Amino acid sequence: MTTRQAASAALWPVLSVVLALGMLALLLLLLGYAPLPALWALASGAFGSSAAWTATLLKASPLLFTGLAVALSFRCGVWNIGAEGQLYAGALAATAVATRLLPGAPAVVLTPLLSLAGAAGGALLAAIAGVLRAARGVSEVISTILLNFVAIQAVALAVHGPLQEASRAYPQSDALPAAALLPAFGRLHLGIAIAVALAFAVQLLIFRTALGFRMRAVGLSPVAARFAGISPERHALVSISIAGALAGLAGAFEVAGVTERLYEGLSPGYGYTAIAVALLARLNPLATLPAALFFGALEAGAGAMQRSAGVPSVVTQIVQGLVILVFVAIPFEARQAPLPGASIDGAA
Amino acid sequence: MHVLLGLVRPDTGQLEIAGRRVDLAGYSPADALRAGVGMVHQHSTLVPAMTVPENIAFGAVGGSALFRRARVRARVARLAEQYALDVPLDVPVAQLSVGQRQRAEILRTLDRGARVIVLDEPTAALTPGETQALFPGLRRLRDGGSAIVFISHKLEEIEGLADRVAVLRRGVLVAVKGAREADARELGSLMLGRDLPGLVRPPALPREEGAPAFALRDLEAPGLREASRLKGVTLAVQAGEIVGVAGIDGNGQRELEEVLAGVRPITAGRIEVSGRLVPPSVRRLRAAGVSHLSGERERGGLVAGFTIAENLILKSSYDDRRFVRGGLLDREAARRYARDVMQRFGIKPADPDLDIATLSGGNAQKVAVARELDSRPRVLVAVNPTRGLDVGSARFVNEQLLALRSLGGAVLLVSTELDEVLFLADRVVALVEGCVVPVPRDADRAALGAILLSGAPQSAVA
Repeated sequence: MTTRQAASAALWPVLSVVLALGMLALLLLLLGYAPLPALWALASGAFGSSAAWTATLLKASPLLFTGLAVALSFRCGVWNIGAEGQLYAGALAATAVATRLLPGAPAVVLTPLLSLAGAAGGALLAAIAGVLRAARGVSEVISTILLNFVAIQAVALAVHGPLQEASRAYPQSDALPAAALLPAFGRLHLGIAIAVALAFAVQLLIFRTALGFRMRAVGLSPVAARFAGISPERHALVSISIAGALAGLAGAFEVAGVTERLYEGLSPGYGYTAIAVALLARLNPLATLPAALFFGALEAGAGAMQRSAGVPSVVTQIVQGLVILVFVAIPFEARQAPLPGASIDGAA
Repeated sequence: MHVLLGLVRPDTGQLEIAGRRVDLAGYSPADALRAGVGMVHQHSTLVPAMTVPENIAFGAVGGSALFRRARVRARVARLAEQYALDVPLDVPVAQLSVGQRQRAEILRTLDRGARVIVLDEPTAALTPGETQALFPGLRRLRDGGSAIVFISHKLEEIEGLADRVAVLRRGVLVAVKGAREADARELGSLMLGRDLPGLVRPPALPREEGAPAFALRDLEAPGLREASRLKGVTLAVQAGEIVGVAGIDGNGQRELEEVLAGVRPITAGRIEVSGRLVPPSVRRLRAAGVSHLSGERERGGLVAGFTIAENLILKSSYDDRRFVRGGLLDREAARRYARDVMQRFGIKPADPDLDIATLSGGNAQKVAVARELDSRPRVLVAVNPTRGLDVGSARFVNEQLLALRSLGGAVLLVSTELDEVLFLADRVVALVEGCVVPVPRDADRAALGAILLSGAPQSAVA
């Protein structure tokens, strides 16, 4: 893609962000707050200091993993609404490995193993939806949503039961052993770098590999794909499994990089915001980098806005919705114009 | 018909209903209803969980806000008796037979005051008995002063019911005749005919002895409907031969295509290429040298949203070492290949990065033809390959079929275009209700048309 094409592809997402922020300003005005100081507080809470940047990046990291998961499965025509549950499944599996299976293992063993466990946990949960669709024609929209409840309740069960901390004081797991914690620079853990690397990897997978080519063919036209010898069911299963692995990593790295324990309500809905991230990125893996950063900044800045301007932080959730509403309200052709999927190059 | 119903706005022309010219600029389905036009669709539009009176009351124009069950029921019962359209009124529509539902739909149009009633292939889903039961009601409607438009491709029904016959072919009104003057052969010929300008058919190659290049033996496969289930299809195509399979849609064409493309499982029979058994999967068939070309875009394997180059390599994404190495796609090689192919097959515009959806139907089909024929297949299964194409593109496609034949390819041409089949094919059979019916060597368009429209086949040997 040429620079000009890339610029025009980015135009609508950027415009919808600007429009949504404009609407937020209007809303603040109506609620009786001074919009500019509030927005300023939001911005400086997200980017104003190194602590603010750290908070933003820590929020952006799980959004990036899950956003990539959603983009990858949507590209294959699989409407995976289950990133949230897959994240929890990954967190659960990683915690089980770190606190129960191998609590005494050294970091060189434990870090890769708990990452692997997280990816496997997410992938297995997602694969249930993929198998149900392939074998019984069950809509993955329904099954992934329902599996979210299963995973979230499984975590609740675990932290009240088998994984509960030794003191039994709270419904949470033991703190992860030090060897299980991700290497970090300050609070910025290794997972953030892995997320960025995976954005490039998923881009490569979708646009440069034969598997990605077939997944895109299935996403664009399952009938034509079938006549070309490409099984829509099999590729849907593969894509949702990889997506589950990505979301599972988000959960593992939340536990091993941020919270250091497993507990209920671990995720403030990352797996749902991920859908917004993927759509804003127009299902382009590389574009999920800025999209995740934007939504991460909103999350991080919301607290600052509440503290220094007295605006309830939930207002930013309205912005999250507005961005997507504005984006999908844009005429279809304009959104699609140079659809990156249509080019053999992708967004490269 | 959609114009008449206000669903499609015509580009030019006029519409008169009961002698009054209709203003087409703002003509909507509601206007059509008000003008007294009603349609009975091929597929039921009734709510299955409701009874017939409920269905009729629901959405009625100018009805009262309250649903007065007894009143509506009485009204419907009166109509039903008046027109001999017998329908149970007190059970949910879900429990009614297809024929009963159809009668309910007719009652609904009558209840709305329709004086012009359009029936779109009303008998397609009916048993012969139900069809016979439908006709007295329709006659009574006619005698009561309604105009009835009855769409069908079954000649005996038209002969048994119609006062006048209009033949539509590809959007052109070819003839209007009194039902008494028209005979079945002539109508069949009018319905299915088309001229093929300017094609030259090279002489057939000398026959080689030995196993046919492509053979189907006693193929059976489930169908979308009973009539389209494949019931023991046996066929053979020699190298350098085009065998035409003529037929009307819904007689197993789609099923046969899907079986030969490898996407529909078979329940019995075998497919052989040069005497060797080939398992009916897409990739095995393709590996054995069987190509598949369809006039319908998605069934032809074209992916809208993919570029020309991506579509050209679509069937090569597993193991073709020209484009895939170590799981990675060589996009530059795909582009080079696409430029080369487009030049050889004369496809314009020659930009491999264009989305296939931006091409005209003719050019898109040329891409599909190029993909299927560039591998020099031993066998080509072509299904309505010129459907919906302009004359020039259709000619291109037909020329390519003949060129493959000259190179010794075996072509199975499954088509509803009788002239195309008769002109291109060395041998013709008919596919009627899932069975292969032999066609005499000297059959012309009218004779072939009569076979296709005659309904049940006599024997199933070709």
